Amino acid sequence: MRDAYLVGAGQSAYGAFPEESYRSLFRTAFDAAVDSVPDEFDADEIDEAFIGTLGVGGRQLGLSGPAVTEHVGLDGVPCTRVENACAASGFAVRQAVQAVKSGMADVALAGGFEVMTDMSSDATKYWLGVSGETEWERLSGTTFSGVYAQMASAHMNEYGTTREQLSRIAVKNHANGAKNPHAQLGFECSLEDAQSAPVVADPLNLYHCCPTSDGAACALIVSEDVVDDYTDDPIRVAGVGAGSDSVGLFQRDTYTGVPASRRAAKTAYEMADIDPADLDFAEVHDCFAIAELLAYEDLGFCEPGEAGDLIESGATELGGDLPVNTSGGLKSKGHPIGATGAGQVVEAFKQLSGTAGERQVETPTRGLTHNVGGSGGAAVVHVFERQQEVSAR
Amino acid sequence: MTAITAVGAYTPRFRISAAAFEEAWGHFRAAGISEKAVPAADEDALTMGSEAATRALEAVELEGTDVDWLAFATSTPPVAEADLTARLGAMLAVSESATRHVFTGSTRAGTRAIWAGMDAIEAGSGATALVVTADAPIGHPDSELDHAAGAGAAALVLEPDGPAHITDRAEFAHPYPGTRFRNTGDDEKQGLGVTQYDRRAFTQTIGGAVAELEHERDPDVAVVQAPDGKLPYRAAGAAGVDTDAIRAAATVHELGDLGAASVPASLAAALAAGTKSILAVSYGSGAGADAFALETAGDVPARIDLDGDATLSYAEYLRQRGVVTTGPPSGGGAYVSVPSWQRSIPQRYRLEAGRCPDCGALSFPPAGACDGCGTLDAAEPVELAGTGTVEAVTTISHGGAPPEFAPHQSRSGDYAAAIVALDAATDDRDRDGDGNRNENADANTNADTATPRTVSVPAMGTDAAPDAFAVGDRVETTIRRIYTQEGVTRYGFKIRPQMP
Repeated sequence: MRDAYLVGAGQSAYGAFPEESYRSLFRTAFDAAVDSVPDEFDADEIDEAFIGTLGVGGRQLGLSGPAVTEHVGLDGVPCTRVENACAASGFAVRQAVQAVKSGMADVALAGGFEVMTDMSSDATKYWLGVSGETEWERLSGTTFSGVYAQMASAHMNEYGTTREQLSRIAVKNHANGAKNPHAQLGFECSLEDAQSAPVVADPLNLYHCCPTSDGAACALIVSEDVVDDYTDDPIRVAGVGAGSDSVGLFQRDTYTGVPASRRAAKTAYEMADIDPADLDFAEVHDCFAIAELLAYEDLGFCEPGEAGDLIESGATELGGDLPVNTSGGLKSKGHPIGATGAGQVVEAFKQLSGTAGERQVETPTRGLTHNVGGSGGAAVVHVFERQQEVSAR
Repeated sequence: MTAITAVGAYTPRFRISAAAFEEAWGHFRAAGISEKAVPAADEDALTMGSEAATRALEAVELEGTDVDWLAFATSTPPVAEADLTARLGAMLAVSESATRHVFTGSTRAGTRAIWAGMDAIEAGSGATALVVTADAPIGHPDSELDHAAGAGAAALVLEPDGPAHITDRAEFAHPYPGTRFRNTGDDEKQGLGVTQYDRRAFTQTIGGAVAELEHERDPDVAVVQAPDGKLPYRAAGAAGVDTDAIRAAATVHELGDLGAASVPASLAAALAAGTKSILAVSYGSGAGADAFALETAGDVPARIDLDGDATLSYAEYLRQRGVVTTGPPSGGGAYVSVPSWQRSIPQRYRLEAGRCPDCGALSFPPAGACDGCGTLDAAEPVELAGTGTVEAVTTISHGGAPPEFAPHQSRSGDYAAAIVALDAATDDRDRDGDGNRNENADANTNADTATPRTVSVPAMGTDAAPDAFAVGDRVETTIRRIYTQEGVTRYGFKIRPQMP
């Protein structure tokens, strides 16, 4: 199969935007993606589009993909809506890569959007829970904060992981998000703040939980046959992996990890022919603080049970050995469900193209994105690799 | 003849004192009650009845399938129309073809159910009758009736012969409109409060029923309907007993008015205490009374749980009872239809899991591909034991509950939500992979067969503070109200710390 390349990516700011619609947010992200392509890019060259959205609020549940692509003038372009809960647009990116690698498309658009803040908090919660296992898990009185809290309880019981280590995730990601103009909660927080916030689902407090957000993100994936038309400094999609699992936590083999993430990472590393040690940064799915700790272990950044030590070591901070969530992550940058996976790819693009500003990782070659649906019913991992640095090595 | 062969009794764990009412209202209007039982937010007459019935059956080691006649009696049914005995019977595994009756309409309903059970036994149309009585009266918050209102349930197993024979019975009715009543469409009971008139209704009907008994009696104790803590004693003369005999069996002083379960609960407690001769007299407003004479010749198997373990303030009382909380918010999104809930009733009520016919793995709910080997062959239904171990747990605080549970959280406060490894039933544990009983299996290890002994399920905590649940703790299941949507209350299992 031929190679696929990431030639552009952009996003709207994440936050609460009562003056914006899901379509106008998507337009902003699409324009930013097109503008980010180093050389001339004409939207007419797009062969195929994949759009991720959960559909929170039910505003356009059917045909929600074409509803945004027609808004940016892509009326005739085949468009497929991808739904995999919070991993919707991570999987949309994977679909775009597949379309390009298979030869069916030379230029594919992958994007996502969500509007979550224009309704009552109760109505929002009706929608947040919809990706949990409905008949049993939800009706035991949980939404995702509760399910991730259960995972935290199991991890704490098994490995001695602490509440302070959970809070350190929040401190790190807020420190990064404070350097990201697109971040919804772009302010720093102290360890004390992150330890004393109101409890949502013990042991998780408010600072261990991502916000609800409005936003959109887009990425442009092209084939090796046309990549030279768009850039002299190509970023290759070196690895793609995905996995699925039982929707309900109670039906999985483990509560102290996300098997779908492990499967996705293994596949992606094998395709890219790399080890986790070869990564220069990672954007991981930190919907709750425990999720980032689980990701460290599932993605092989450390051994099972050692994620607490890893965050304490500072290795995953900006400037550390493997900076994680330089964008601020879901915690600080925000989590507009359908946009999140594509938004992670936007950060990878910025880091690898040297446009990440204050939070730029020094001359990175390789970065990973990790996007999880629900509490682990689906996960997708991408490895992006900057070709100039690699060939120079 | 009809005998009582087992009794069970249950009250919720919450208590509120007369002093708490006095602090809130400046007075307490229920004479002779020092403390009373309060139902938790997830309890009602049906769940309390299930608790008591489970205890009665356990006491005599009967299964629900042994019951061929079932009655449910309450003056506060959670729905005014819809046959609750279908759900109660399913909770207890009573046969679908067993005879079922609902008794309601007055606090005399509990003894009417006993009466009908006797008729069935004596007519030979039932061999094992289960009478389930439960009540949690509600009145206007500042009424004498609400101040007195308690909560509890009692269940009696009736059979042709056994340790406690009902030797005599009689009934009496006389019209007394305006004594305690609840109009159609209302939740709250009310009364005109014409003191002397109410008392006359009470004593005249009780006296009338006792007078109809065939023989003169000198019982060790007299169980008398107790709408409050004083009225029963006013009937002493009419019933031909002294007040000490009434006091000996009284539960009203510590539990409050148990409505239709008042006489059955006190009767169960008296039988459990080994009382030799008992006169039991109920009263239902309107008005009527039932009188029974009992003689015992041996111990009656009993499991009586009438102790509380948590005291409420008056504000907490109003919250638990839903007096000061709002209903569910409007929304959308996740939704479980009533038909899909109904299909899961064997799991929700009876913990019906599946065992893989190929590899022996347990599954819950028993649907879809086997977790162990992936086969799509249908699992064999197996019932779980109702005990288990907490594997993961959280306390859901403000903001963490699905909107369907907002009313519950508003009433009960923070709650535990756990994943629990439920144990296989004892007789299902020592089977090999083919589902055959493994005669030589070690009771503890089962290592040779590798047959899974647990299956993980999510469940909400109840009957204890949320921090009473920790990873590794032993728990047991019990049936409670889960939530109400589209006006239909869905019942199912929750977990509580395992009782010794």
